[in-house]
Amino acid sequence: MGQTEKNSVKSRRQHSELRFALHLLRQNPIVMAGLVISVATVVLAILSNLLVNGAYWHQQELTLRLCWNNPAFSWPVTNLFNCAGQVYPLGTDAYGRSLLQMIILAIPIDLQIALEVVASAVVIGVIFGSLAAYMGGLIDEIILRITDIFLAVPWILLAIVLIVVLGRSLTTLTLAVIITWWPWYVRLMRSQVIGEKEKLYVERLRMMGAGWPRILFRHVIPNSIYPILVQSTLDIGSVILTVSALTFIGLTPNPLLPELGNLSNQGIQYFFTAPWLIVFPGLTILIISLGFNLLGDGIRDIFDPRLRR
Amino acid sequence: MSQSNTTEGGDDVLSIRELKLKFHTYAGEVSALDGIRLSIRKGELFGLVGESGCGKSVTALAIAGLLPPNAEITGGDVILDGKNVLALKPEEMRLARLKDIAMIFQDPMTYLNPVLTIGSQMAEITRAEPKLFISILITHRLRQIDKQVDSAKPDRGLLAERESLTAALDSQNLGRKELDQLTRSYAISLLKSVRLPEPEKVYKMYPFELSGGMRQRVMIAMAMMRRPKLLLADEITTALDVTVQAQILRLLKDLRSEINTSVLLITHDLAIVAEVCDRVAVMYAGNIVEVAEVDELFRNPLHPYTKGLLASVPRADLARTPDSIEGSVPDLLSPPSGCRFHPRCPKAFETCPSKKPSMIAVAPNHYVSCFLYGG
Amino acid sequence: MVFVLLALSILIFYLTRGLLPPTTALAPYINPRLTDAGKLSIARAVGVATSTCPSFSDFASLQTGCVTPLWTQYFFWLKNVLVGNWGYTLLPGISGTESTWSVFFGRFPYTAELDIVAAVLTFLIGVPLGIVSATHNNKLPDHLSRIVSLGGYSIPQFWFGAMLLIVFVLYLRIGGLGLLPASGALGTTCALCFSNPGSITTYSGVPLFDSLLSLNLPYFWDSVVAIILPALTLAITSLGLLTRIVRSNMMEVLRQDYITMARSKGLKERSIIYSHALRNAILPAITVAGLLVTYLIGGSVIVEIVFSWPGVGSAALVAADVLDINFLELFVLVAGVIIVVTNLVVDILYAVLDPRIRY
Repeated sequence: MGQTEKNSVKSRRQHSELRFALHLLRQNPIVMAGLVISVATVVLAILSNLLVNGAYWHQQELTLRLCWNNPAFSWPVTNLFNCAGQVYPLGTDAYGRSLLQMIILAIPIDLQIALEVVASAVVIGVIFGSLAAYMGGLIDEIILRITDIFLAVPWILLAIVLIVVLGRSLTTLTLAVIITWWPWYVRLMRSQVIGEKEKLYVERLRMMGAGWPRILFRHVIPNSIYPILVQSTLDIGSVILTVSALTFIGLTPNPLLPELGNLSNQGIQYFFTAPWLIVFPGLTILIISLGFNLLGDGIRDIFDPRLRR
Repeated sequence: MSQSNTTEGGDDVLSIRELKLKFHTYAGEVSALDGIRLSIRKGELFGLVGESGCGKSVTALAIAGLLPPNAEITGGDVILDGKNVLALKPEEMRLARLKDIAMIFQDPMTYLNPVLTIGSQMAEITRAEPKLFISILITHRLRQIDKQVDSAKPDRGLLAERESLTAALDSQNLGRKELDQLTRSYAISLLKSVRLPEPEKVYKMYPFELSGGMRQRVMIAMAMMRRPKLLLADEITTALDVTVQAQILRLLKDLRSEINTSVLLITHDLAIVAEVCDRVAVMYAGNIVEVAEVDELFRNPLHPYTKGLLASVPRADLARTPDSIEGSVPDLLSPPSGCRFHPRCPKAFETCPSKKPSMIAVAPNHYVSCFLYGG
Repeated sequence: MVFVLLALSILIFYLTRGLLPPTTALAPYINPRLTDAGKLSIARAVGVATSTCPSFSDFASLQTGCVTPLWTQYFFWLKNVLVGNWGYTLLPGISGTESTWSVFFGRFPYTAELDIVAAVLTFLIGVPLGIVSATHNNKLPDHLSRIVSLGGYSIPQFWFGAMLLIVFVLYLRIGGLGLLPASGALGTTCALCFSNPGSITTYSGVPLFDSLLSLNLPYFWDSVVAIILPALTLAITSLGLLTRIVRSNMMEVLRQDYITMARSKGLKERSIIYSHALRNAILPAITVAGLLVTYLIGGSVIVEIVFSWPGVGSAALVAADVLDINFLELFVLVAGVIIVVTNLVVDILYAVLDPRIRY
């Protein structure tokens, strides 16, 4: 076979790889939906201050609390309180604020907490996971045992204890969620580095006399970090679930705070008078986490060599 | 070299006519089989030889109805003992696989379920369709009893057993417990017939406890259990070392004569073909290019590819190094036009790329598909 | 294993006693009506106050030399705990009169009932759904089950529970009553409930069990009717996870060579799936059991709040409010024991089912 033929076969194969990936993507409208939702969430978060006045949630209008006047549908509640004045598309909450505006304000706050949690968990996970894997021996044992301890508790109990002890604030809330997630990232990074450090170039670097910090931080970590980053982006949805669960049970820093779980907490308190207070914030959480999870599934499916034909 | 054909020249057990097959992949359509013709006689040990990727395993899978979902048969017939296998409904195909066709694969480690014992993987065969096996199982056990009864003191229990079994044979009715017991004794005797030491122990073992050669024997025993009309052996010795290879091949030959099964032996190794096969077909890029009796093929190869294959086998009696065939196996996504071998053929001329040569008989029982000989 | 539990107890202890004033640590052990001298002597007995501390007010205001170091406190605490002395609960309404231990284990059977039913649901729905999904890959059942599984672990449990309540209590009503009860472990005010189920003798504290043992069928029915929605809500997350795992394992297994071999032997497709594929697919799925137990126990806190279920989960929140640390610690340690034991059972089960490990 001539050289040109070989090249054309090679380029046809590369072309077919890309076509294959796109084919999978096109074939999977669900993944596309995930992508759209995730992007829409981020966009909405960025634009939220343009849509709603940032200070809106501080006000309280108690004459308008727990009312519903959206003509589109009604709730099977015995005494549905009708709002005066403008139409509130999603009703009002226990402080008389429009639920729709509260949700729009809540999305960036939840997203921001999620980003902080994920970023911190990644940093902790990368440092301790790669140290454990690279150093091995006693350090590995200790770090592994510590993750075992944290994984032997239902996360929510640990979080409750932590917030109880440290008081209720946005910082302690974020901290409590970080405590929940970091063991997974340590383990993930550790297994990545364990595989990576066996590779030939590490041996070569060692023989050239490079010290372990240089090998670890300049080479091994950057090469093994990719799956962690992918995982962390996709965990954003699940982190929002975790955060909202904690605020839902009442561990919020401020009952007025626009936060999806917080709004749902009002919802369960006033469930029989204003069920919309739990339906819509919860639905928002569902959509956001579904978007990120769908996206994650799709990316994993596309890049999983075993599932390819 | 091999013995001559043992058949009485009876009907063909298998007859493949113009079988065309393609795979739908994301890179495009792969034309895996380009109209192949093959026939195997009763009791014949037929070799199918060719390089990797030429379509020999695919042929076997097509016969057994085990093709993956992205395969499409675009033409041709596969007639097994008078029935067109391709036209069978899935349930009928399954029964055909149970009783008529048996397939043995290359790597017995991955083809045996690691968490089930050998015994359970053999017993499930009879449990699948007990009715089909009643005669075999009872006849086998009766024969065993007869051998024991012939000795000095006939045991009362054995005589009673023989009576009840004969009755069951007539009524074609067998209880679940008796079925299991008979299956077990039949399976163990099969394990013995494939020359496995301590067959009762092997019956209770797990696949990972056996060596490669032993596992392959187990596979053969599993195939023999059904007394198939056709045995498909796909590269069964490739994963074994040479001494074990020889044993397995010898076993195959002996079993073939015992049960009069036809065997389609698929391999890339000409030496194996030379050793055990009666007839052989040479396959290249989805086509059968030459079919002949083994002696004839080695003595008088006709197709340029066959000649190239034979020349590339290292031989201790010749001083020269083996030749290799120029070029490499074509990409079946877009195969060469006309005769698929023409890009590598040293004797190619103008007609070769233009159309496909048909298979013609150059001598009785020697067919070739090449324009050099007409076609 | 014991090490993990011990380390866990130390972690919780240091978190709580280290960061909160020692009066909190003392609170479970003293009756508020005691005199100061009485309180001080108990403080000494429990190991939080030193023997040289002059008065209770000195101790309360953290005068130096009055509070024992943390590790001493820990050993005293551990000693008490191992004999079952967890002090008196601080939960409102009964504080100082009921022991933490009895309150906890009085409510625990309800949580256990909820968790067990949810676990059964997870298994009964998750495994078949995963199998069907794998065997009908890319067809309608697969798409439906992927929606269920993805939805399952994307759903906020409190929202799912609330939606179930809206549908089955607010929307579906018969004769002015919701179809299913809205709260509690025993449904008496719902369309499908018996309004007067009578009483039962308490054998285990688990209503489903005890009502059967007491042969009180209306009570049993009411308990079943009450547990459906909460158990479903609790199960939804682990259900999603299990379906996913079973599906991907099955798909992996069905691609294996021994499945082709089984087909070539002429076995029925059904027996191939159950005798060959499932055995190999379930094995790795078992290892996730410990994780699922974690989700179930943690989820009960949320679910018990949504459905006003009288278990330890809802009590935990109240305990957090009144700083009843002993209660929370007991909860954490009991949960830890359950999870560690589950993992141990899983390891043993794995060795039993996979012959390759045994040899």
